[in-house]
Amino acid sequence: MMIDMKKLNNIFRKSWGYTLAILTLLSTSCNKYLDIAPDDGMATLEMVFNMRSTAIKYLYSCYSFLPYEGHASSVAMLGGDEFWFREQVLNSPSTYSLNSAAIQAIHFARGEQNVTSPYNYDWNSLYQGIRYCNTLVDNIMAVPDMDEGEKKIWMSEAKVLKAYYLFWLVRKWGPVPIVRENFDVSDGIETVRVYRDNVDDCFDYMIELIDEAMPDLELMEAGDDELGRINRVVAAAIKAKIAVTAASPLFNNNAEQFTLVDSRGVQLFPSKTEAQVKQRWESAVTACKEAIDLCHEVGKGLYYYDGAIRADEHIIQELTLRESLCNSWNKECVWGNAQYYVSGSGNSSATSHLTFLSTPNLDPETYPSFLHMRGWDSFGIALKIADQFYTKHGLPVENDKERADVDPYELRTVADIPEERWYMQAGKQTAQFNFDREPRFYADLGFDACLWFGPNISNPTPDDLYKINRTSLTANTPWITGYMCKKWSKYNTRVMSNTTYSISPWIWPNIRLADLYLLYAEAINEAEGPNGAHSEDLFNYLDAVRTRAGIPGVKEAWDTYSNAPGKYQNQLGLREIIHRERLVELAFEGQRFWDLRRWKEAREEYQKGIFRWNTDQPGTAARYYKKTALFFQTFTLKDYFWPLSTATLENNPNLVQNLGW
Amino acid sequence: MKKIKQSVLLALGGLLLSFSVMAQNVSLNLVNVSVKKAITELKEKSGYSFVYVSNDIDTQRIISVKANDLPSAINQIIEGQDLTYEIQGKNIIISKKRPKAIAGVSQPKIVKGYVLDENGEPLPGATVRVGNTSRGVLTDIDGAYEIQVEPTEQLVFSFVGMTPQLVNVSDQRVINIELAEENNELEEAVAVAFGKQKKESVIGAITSVDVKELKVPSSDLTTALAGNMAGLVAFSRSGEPGQDNTDFFIRGVATFEGNTTPLILIDNIELTATDLARLQPDDIASFSVMKDATATAVYGARGANGVILVTTKRGAEGPVKVFARFENALSAPTRTVQLADNVTYMKLANEAALTRDAAADLLYTKDKIENTGKAGSNPYIYPNNDWYDMLFNKYSTSQRATINLTGGGKVAQYYVSMGLTRDTGILKVDHRNSFNNNIDSKNYTVRANIDINVTKTTKMGVRITGNFDDYSGPINGGSEVYNQVMHSNPVMFPAYYEPDPAHQFTQHILFGNYGLATYTNPYAEMVKGYKDRNRSQILAVLDINQDLEFITKGLSASAMLNISRLSSFSTSRYYKPFYYSLGYYDSFTGAYTLDEINSSGTEYLGYYPGAKSMTNTLYTEMRLNYNRTFGGHGLSGLLVFTTHESLIADSSITSLAKSLPSRNAGLAGRFTYNWKSRYFTEFNFGYNGSERFAEKHRWGFFPSAGVAWMISNEDFWKPLKKTVNTLKLRYTYGLVGNDNIGSSADRFFYLSSVDMSDSSRSAKFGRDGGSSYSGINVDIYANDNITWETSYKNNFALELGLFDKLNIIAEYYTEKRTNLLQSRSDIPSTMGLTAPVRANIGEAKAHGVDIQSDYQQSWGKDFWTAARLNFTYARGVYSIFEEPDYAEPWRSHIGQSISQKWGYIAERLFVDDAEARNAPTQNFGSVYGGGDIKYTDVNNDGVITAADMVPIGNPTTPEIVYGFGLSMGYKGFDASVFFQGEGNVSFWIDAASTYPFVKETQLMKAYADDHWSEENQNVYALWPRLSVDVNKNNTTRSTWFMRDGSFLRLKQVEIGYTFPNHWLRRAHIDNLRLYMSGTNLMTWSKFKLWDVELGGDGFNYPIQRVVNLGVNITLK
Repeated sequence: MMIDMKKLNNIFRKSWGYTLAILTLLSTSCNKYLDIAPDDGMATLEMVFNMRSTAIKYLYSCYSFLPYEGHASSVAMLGGDEFWFREQVLNSPSTYSLNSAAIQAIHFARGEQNVTSPYNYDWNSLYQGIRYCNTLVDNIMAVPDMDEGEKKIWMSEAKVLKAYYLFWLVRKWGPVPIVRENFDVSDGIETVRVYRDNVDDCFDYMIELIDEAMPDLELMEAGDDELGRINRVVAAAIKAKIAVTAASPLFNNNAEQFTLVDSRGVQLFPSKTEAQVKQRWESAVTACKEAIDLCHEVGKGLYYYDGAIRADEHIIQELTLRESLCNSWNKECVWGNAQYYVSGSGNSSATSHLTFLSTPNLDPETYPSFLHMRGWDSFGIALKIADQFYTKHGLPVENDKERADVDPYELRTVADIPEERWYMQAGKQTAQFNFDREPRFYADLGFDACLWFGPNISNPTPDDLYKINRTSLTANTPWITGYMCKKWSKYNTRVMSNTTYSISPWIWPNIRLADLYLLYAEAINEAEGPNGAHSEDLFNYLDAVRTRAGIPGVKEAWDTYSNAPGKYQNQLGLREIIHRERLVELAFEGQRFWDLRRWKEAREEYQKGIFRWNTDQPGTAARYYKKTALFFQTFTLKDYFWPLSTATLENNPNLVQNLGW
Repeated sequence: MKKIKQSVLLALGGLLLSFSVMAQNVSLNLVNVSVKKAITELKEKSGYSFVYVSNDIDTQRIISVKANDLPSAINQIIEGQDLTYEIQGKNIIISKKRPKAIAGVSQPKIVKGYVLDENGEPLPGATVRVGNTSRGVLTDIDGAYEIQVEPTEQLVFSFVGMTPQLVNVSDQRVINIELAEENNELEEAVAVAFGKQKKESVIGAITSVDVKELKVPSSDLTTALAGNMAGLVAFSRSGEPGQDNTDFFIRGVATFEGNTTPLILIDNIELTATDLARLQPDDIASFSVMKDATATAVYGARGANGVILVTTKRGAEGPVKVFARFENALSAPTRTVQLADNVTYMKLANEAALTRDAAADLLYTKDKIENTGKAGSNPYIYPNNDWYDMLFNKYSTSQRATINLTGGGKVAQYYVSMGLTRDTGILKVDHRNSFNNNIDSKNYTVRANIDINVTKTTKMGVRITGNFDDYSGPINGGSEVYNQVMHSNPVMFPAYYEPDPAHQFTQHILFGNYGLATYTNPYAEMVKGYKDRNRSQILAVLDINQDLEFITKGLSASAMLNISRLSSFSTSRYYKPFYYSLGYYDSFTGAYTLDEINSSGTEYLGYYPGAKSMTNTLYTEMRLNYNRTFGGHGLSGLLVFTTHESLIADSSITSLAKSLPSRNAGLAGRFTYNWKSRYFTEFNFGYNGSERFAEKHRWGFFPSAGVAWMISNEDFWKPLKKTVNTLKLRYTYGLVGNDNIGSSADRFFYLSSVDMSDSSRSAKFGRDGGSSYSGINVDIYANDNITWETSYKNNFALELGLFDKLNIIAEYYTEKRTNLLQSRSDIPSTMGLTAPVRANIGEAKAHGVDIQSDYQQSWGKDFWTAARLNFTYARGVYSIFEEPDYAEPWRSHIGQSISQKWGYIAERLFVDDAEARNAPTQNFGSVYGGGDIKYTDVNNDGVITAADMVPIGNPTTPEIVYGFGLSMGYKGFDASVFFQGEGNVSFWIDAASTYPFVKETQLMKAYADDHWSEENQNVYALWPRLSVDVNKNNTTRSTWFMRDGSFLRLKQVEIGYTFPNHWLRRAHIDNLRLYMSGTNLMTWSKFKLWDVELGGDGFNYPIQRVVNLGVNITLK
């Protein structure tokens, strides 16, 4: 027994010895076998900044987080109260080439926002954009094969982009955490669980970033290839928008939001004195002025049609208005967005998608069975938006003396006179509603009995123009509201044959000069009223936009034709005039959505309801021209801001939910 | 150790008593050859076989032979040795010369008897020899013998391929002997990792399965696993032939992350579930499931989720033995989904539209509803399709054939098998097409296992296996056809039109459709073409074993090399159907015209290449084995070093990292010790390397150990041994590491993955967007701290054998898995990371019980019965799970089963719209009202949100799987039944997929009969208020559509008859059995809409009921 145990011990000891020896041997030789990943073959983030040619990709990546603006998937397009849609769109989005963001926007418009998975929730991607910008700022100076100046330019672009991403976050969620510098992936959890910063700090930081960036940026793009990149003009324009937003009632001393306090007791919408409120507006005036001056310096101005087509002045006026949006990189375009440019005749994305959604069956007589386009029967403009356009005197319908006794729903025949026959089909009946409107009404809207400049020919007769008729619509595909968006459709978009449809894509302007003019006017009025130091600028810029639109200036219009002369003489009256001007001039451009919110006018506007003509009855004009309800939207305090999703809150308990959610 | 070395017969054929005259005149001229060589030569020339006891003759002795006749040749061969010979039939029996027994000590007498095999079949030609003498006889054709023997002597019974038996004669007159097959060389051996172990010495949790139980009439072996093996959880979600349908887990699922499937080893080669499914049951020698830490330890990291080890049969010395099996089966769905008739379909479609919007257009006119299906109404104007009937046959057939040959000589032994299975689907075929669109799935297997004795101490094994699938079937697979039938409008258009005058010379089929031909015509989709899919798996194994006895006794070393190639590709060929709709129709004359409504049709077949894939594997293994007994001390040791490399090439390879071969390597060891077969102890370790971790974590050491006490082998147990034959306690504990974590995209956790041209991160600038770069995106953040997932496993077991009849093995286990890889859920999104950050944070726990028992009883000579029962309970729960700090405790995963689902509590349907308005808001994105589901506001905050989701129902993986069976035999007849069941499992009716009318979905009869309607406002109806669009309020996961997934199934019934031997003898058939079996004959479940095992989507290829007729034949 003893001997046996000894033997055993021996064997065990031996085998252990062998085992250990083999283990040591193996872990050295086998490490090689297992070290399969090539040391230099794998791409790393550090490599990006080894060369200009990869660094530029990173710069482009920083831009890739820009929210969609000129696109159906922008919540500001379909998520507001300008458009309405047939419900079937929600069930077969692919038929309408709508992506999920567009569908979400539609749900959003219907008031179905929720906290578990909020619609159009780009919180994560905007913060990703900020991380990219921070990474670029941190690393760009290390790139060996770039000169100092270019490095600084790129760094500045990243800073402005970062400010712009933060701006989007703040517009949607109000006060948000500012991420000045990136956290490391391995940072402790308490470090990365940030708090929301108060809304003033957010705006101040945006302005600070842009101010830092501006001196290093080139005034304007060096060549065609850089169109769309951020330069000093763009930065200034962005700053102007930010400054006006920062001064607006939604963010500036908004008493309704005073109770939004986080767990540390920080009030996220700080209360302010009257002087502090005013000071915000004064900064906005300066910022707008600076932006406009820079624009003028590089030759930008309001667009007037300068193309080859010769035609009646009414047609030229229509072209001026339509091309101010749809003519790529025209002199009015301050910051164009080349992201969505699609060459050819695709309809999958981009401005061509907007065209696709908004174009009617342009030549129904030639191509009666052309069912290709699906936008026109499912998207429409709410009646209240059509009614928002001025009369030919440049006044709201309710303020135009001449319209006092006119029943808008009464039928009237289009006369063969210049003021009418270039806009509508002479001899056709339509409602008073559509008569005697400003040129923007006819340039922006398509409707029953209207004409649509489409054929790319000089000196057309009214008969050469495309005609839109409710009767060309079949019973199965009635027109949803009776108004479609002509503004989105470039004039040379056309039906080529029974199966082809030529869409001319164009560059969407994120910011155009008219926008800045109106922001400037608004800021002046808010800072000092109609008769302050900048009074002249105020009316000049306001009237510049009106003149281009073919209507009289503010003073002339109100004094001559209105039932409330002199309304522009007090701050309150002028505010209404400026707001209305913005809503009309920038209609269907994704501005109304934000403007109504920052002015805190959304609750009132959304109560007006979505109405349409009685499009189910296209048979006779009398039946058709009945104001018919379509949907009643709701808007409450909570709807001013997006909710933070449950997941976002659960990830970081230091974040406090917005009021009402 | 006095055991006599086995006697071996060389090439003793079945034609033992052949009367053909053998050549007596042979000439043999050999110089300096071994006796063995001379015997071989003589055998070849004379046709005589030599029979001898190997100990008796020195076959290595060098001799020279020069002879012209048989006797002198034999004499010269055995010259110089103390041998004599005798010619019997065509055998030359060589034996030692013995002195004659001294007369008078005892009386020689005649002993008679039969030598039989295990099944009671006679063994002709078996040797019956007296003790250590050369005296012996061979049994006759009935296995009978007669021998003169002294009572003091012993008789040795032997037969090729069987274990010899030694019997003391004493005063017996008749000695009947059953010889057991030598396969069970160690009686009751169990296949363990890298070898076999005596069953009594096994400490780890290993379940072996009787291979006979796996012989189900299915081409998919895995369908037989559930309930047949304690510790294995298995279920099938579809019945489509040629697909791999069964999901299985060993001891349930104990991780919520990464891979959960067990390691599948066929002859120690790591293969996939598909390969297991394709295995021919007749090729299997043993099938074991290894469950605990010690059993799987030497497989290292690969065995973390348990191991299924299959070994195939090997050759045995002896004459060729041919085994063949033929089966023919019919299968039909166990249960088909009942659909409402077409009139009801249309009526309810109208109801669905109107009930939500009173002003909605009617979907079907009154005229259409009244005339559809009416006698005499025209099916072109009023289409009335029963798509199911139109596309499916009532049953399908399948055939299986296997044939294998075993045999060999001293130098080499072989096992060669061929198998063919052919399954057809239940799809109909349109004979106007020249091709077959039905499922025709063929599988061929060729297997050759050859063992060569290179030297006395060196053995070499060569195994070649080829497995080939040839599948031909509908373009999108059988399940999709089924799916299309269920999602096609039955009244919109007929399947096809007969040609009108304008189309009477048209060559193609005039398929029906509507509008712009955008609807699914399932008939057209099915018959328009076919898809070929081929899969080939070729495996070559070379295995060398060297006995190292010259170093120390009991030591041996072996090495194995395995190379395999798996390739697959598919091709579709189809035409684009021409669609027509009815143009003009004259109801008086019946004349009609057809309009072609799509312009894309083709009359020719187009070719559409499908996926191609290739996998290369290289595996090496080196082993050092030690096995010895010193007195009462049994000792064994094993060291294994393995490397494994595989490389996949297919379209899924999209990055450099994925294109690199995957590798792992490991050293493992096992050391066992037992004392007098009473106390057993075992230590194992795995030292594993993984390419996936940073260098500091690359190697992991995972030890395990176990002890066992065989109480019934103790001396004090002797009095009880008759009643309690076996009593054994076992316990093991150990660690197992796992590197198979994350997804296939996560090749190297320690490296970041940066996509240098990510189009989603691109931007455009310039006049026409001409300046564009694709951008850069971080897909994975590097983390060099990610390391092995480790599980800690405990196993307690009790083995009990009673009355030599009842055997029970009961095991209880616990498992704790730590370091589970998880995405950090607490990283705020404000960090702006583009990929989740992951770390080894999670932890899961599991516990369960496996019970395996069998009982055998014979009633006299002819009647026997046997019963068996397997039971598995396995539950895995989250124990550490990084999740947000929920305000509501019910949202936490901790303590919940790993496949637990969360959902809303459905109270009932809303009584009316007013109630819906006043109830807590249910914001699922659809308008809801009366007749829609009302959910409980669990946290009472006035809205139904994710916070109101609670764990509902049982897990989706069954926690209980059990099986029990009974078999009996009377003479040649045998019969068996096997039941299989599952419990503690829930599933959800897939409301979105079965949603009537949406996307032309058909209407289930059950929904038609029981739904909320304005006339019948039943708030507990099966289906809520109808709608033409998906009402998301009703399709969100809730208790409303939750169902109990447990069931009990009559899985298998078999009746067989084995023909009596004497009938077959003349046809040289050794064994012939005819049998008939049925699978899935009956099911008991609370759920009636479709076969419960399909789970949520009943609109899937149904599970099949199979009736099978088979025959197997053994020839010798």
